[in-house]
Amino acid sequence: MKKRGRGIATIMFGFGYGEGFPDHSIAAIEIKEQGPILVKTAAADVGQGVLTVLTQIAAEVLRVAPDRIVLSAGDTALTKNAGSTSATRQTYFTGSAVQKAAEGVLALLYHYGSLALHCNHPELVVKDGRVYRYDRPDHFMSYQELARLAHEKGELLQAEASFFPRTDAPDPETGQGERVYVAYTFMTQIAEVEVDTATGLVEVLRFDTALDLGKALNPQAVEGQIEGGTVMGMGMALMEEQVIKAGITLNPDLTGYLIPTALDCPPFYSRLVENKDAAGPFGAKGIGEPVTIGATPALANAIYAAIGIRFFELPITPDKIIKALRQEQGTNG
Amino acid sequence: MNERIIGKNLVKVDARAKVTGRALYPDDLYFAEMLYVKVKRAVHPHAILRKLEISRAQQLPGVVKIITAADYPELNNFGLIIKDQPVLVGIGEKMRYLGDALAIVVAESKEAAGQALAQIRVEVEELEVIDDPRRAMEEQAPLLHPDGNILCRHQLNKGELERGLAAADLIIEQEYKTNRVEQLPLQPEAGVCVYDQETGVLKLWVATQWLHDTQADIAQALGIPPERVRIIQPVIGGAFGKREDISVHIHLALAALATRRPVKLTYTREESMITQSKRHPMIIRAKSGATRDGYLTAWQVEIIGDTGAYASSGPAVVHKGLYHCTGPYNVENVRGIAYTVYTNNTYSGAMRGFGATQLAFAYESQIDILAHRLRIDPARFRYQNAYRPGSSTPNGQVLTDSVNVRETIKEAVQMSNWPGGVEL
Repeated sequence: MKKRGRGIATIMFGFGYGEGFPDHSIAAIEIKEQGPILVKTAAADVGQGVLTVLTQIAAEVLRVAPDRIVLSAGDTALTKNAGSTSATRQTYFTGSAVQKAAEGVLALLYHYGSLALHCNHPELVVKDGRVYRYDRPDHFMSYQELARLAHEKGELLQAEASFFPRTDAPDPETGQGERVYVAYTFMTQIAEVEVDTATGLVEVLRFDTALDLGKALNPQAVEGQIEGGTVMGMGMALMEEQVIKAGITLNPDLTGYLIPTALDCPPFYSRLVENKDAAGPFGAKGIGEPVTIGATPALANAIYAAIGIRFFELPITPDKIIKALRQEQGTNG
Repeated sequence: MNERIIGKNLVKVDARAKVTGRALYPDDLYFAEMLYVKVKRAVHPHAILRKLEISRAQQLPGVVKIITAADYPELNNFGLIIKDQPVLVGIGEKMRYLGDALAIVVAESKEAAGQALAQIRVEVEELEVIDDPRRAMEEQAPLLHPDGNILCRHQLNKGELERGLAAADLIIEQEYKTNRVEQLPLQPEAGVCVYDQETGVLKLWVATQWLHDTQADIAQALGIPPERVRIIQPVIGGAFGKREDISVHIHLALAALATRRPVKLTYTREESMITQSKRHPMIIRAKSGATRDGYLTAWQVEIIGDTGAYASSGPAVVHKGLYHCTGPYNVENVRGIAYTVYTNNTYSGAMRGFGATQLAFAYESQIDILAHRLRIDPARFRYQNAYRPGSSTPNGQVLTDSVNVRETIKEAVQMSNWPGGVEL
């Protein structure tokens, strides 16, 4: 028999290293006499898209098209410490550092533009790679020309900035602290499953997700994270386990260690709760880790709703389901 | 504010290179005269190395160099938070899991390096293998590390637990066990190292989630200044926490230093799974109390995290779970303790969610059980207990900005046509 059920999970995640650990990111932006605008950061893009988001932030602040921005590849000889791509921190930390560096460069564009065009900020327009006076839009200077002007003065059209918020180390006896993490991300997920009581197989039918993220800098990338994170959580809930007995891994390969495939993936429906109320760039919070946390308990609760049995050990594999169903039949019969 | 680019679906800047195959991952890099590296791993999960016989392997055709701990007596241990992991296990020293390195083979080809591995003879004195953290915590258990098997202990104490339990009409106590999960980035660990003899700089093309931390850890292990290690980030094929730890890095540096030639090391999937970090398996005992009308009054947890053979991120992961033990729900009275424990299993470290993932399975199960037992709709039960501005976390952190957890419950219930059509 196939039985359906829905389960809900609501989760939180305090992001950044927190706990008083020094957590910061340094970024720099330079406009040269030729070529694109260079953003220098050591933030590692592990596929999540931080380089894309940083491009958007720099382009937004500097009022240019994203294709005018180039990010330097991470290189310890050329870039300063950005902290790790972990703790759900890069958009918030390096994003803020890039935003501040871009604001520094924007201010320099106003500064050198005012000198070159004989005016002050209120009379200036800075956008689309050009600086000009409101009353004389045809007499513009490009950002690159302003870089040359700065160079003639022996200066660079460059700004470096860092983002370094305070957190507190919790009290060692009580764990209490005023600001243990910079902020929290919240999410609710509802999973619907169908459990085959003959085989113990769990089919995931759909996932509904609502994510409190402040602001989605790139909504499609957020949805990608939600789906990828949820599938990872499905693996944890239903199939993944590296089995080690007496120190020896019994399944060190992808024949013995199963992960969800595209065929296991249900339709995903997501809503992004965007109140722009966080302290990250443009009101954003981090989302990389929280999006994997809800799936496992949502599925465990959905399985309970479907067959009335709770599982307290992960993963909830078909053999465990069958065994539990038989035990229940035994006690009922 | 009218943003032009923020909030838009800009195509990922690296998408084109990735889908057309132009993106270069570390294993795609080749240098002239490049040598291939393989690592001889521990032959027993817990043993003292008594003898390491490399002479036969050394004589095989194509083998350029075999490096053991005896060649570099000045090497320091490495590790993300605590430096407890040896670069190479020396004679008379302990191997603590099957990923420990005994020797580094450098050869003209992968095949020659592989053949040499099979010809290295190892003699060990076997010790008790501890694969259960509860056994590791017993007083008479053999010590895996000199300071004891309990790597660290963290506590939470908010409000008065006993008062909270006394105020509860229903108390649910349950033990949960979470699984050892592999992060499984598609690209196994790989890297290339070139030693620049003029500048004395080791250039490494290796994946890492934190360039400067990896640079610092390699440098301190070798006993050289960080500026003599240059990390150049190639394209990374996934990470999920697994690329926080040192993997190929220091072995590559030693191979390049010893041979003065470019060297490459790529793990097999099996090697990756056995050698590199995992999500911590946790044993979580949770006790939760609520009133008849569905308000939480008390929450207690005890967590034992199996951190395996080495600390890695363990000292940070397990108690991050502890600090998230109630989930996003108002509980005035919280007490908890978390133990991070060494075993002879593959070490546990960072994985997406960093302890908070394991705890969510426990707290969201507890919440669901309470709701069902109290005959309150599980969504409503969550909603009425969820944080709002001014709420405080298990750490006592008062939340002021961006606390929209109740809105997420409302939205998810609405979009999924939650049965019962609960009014929130």
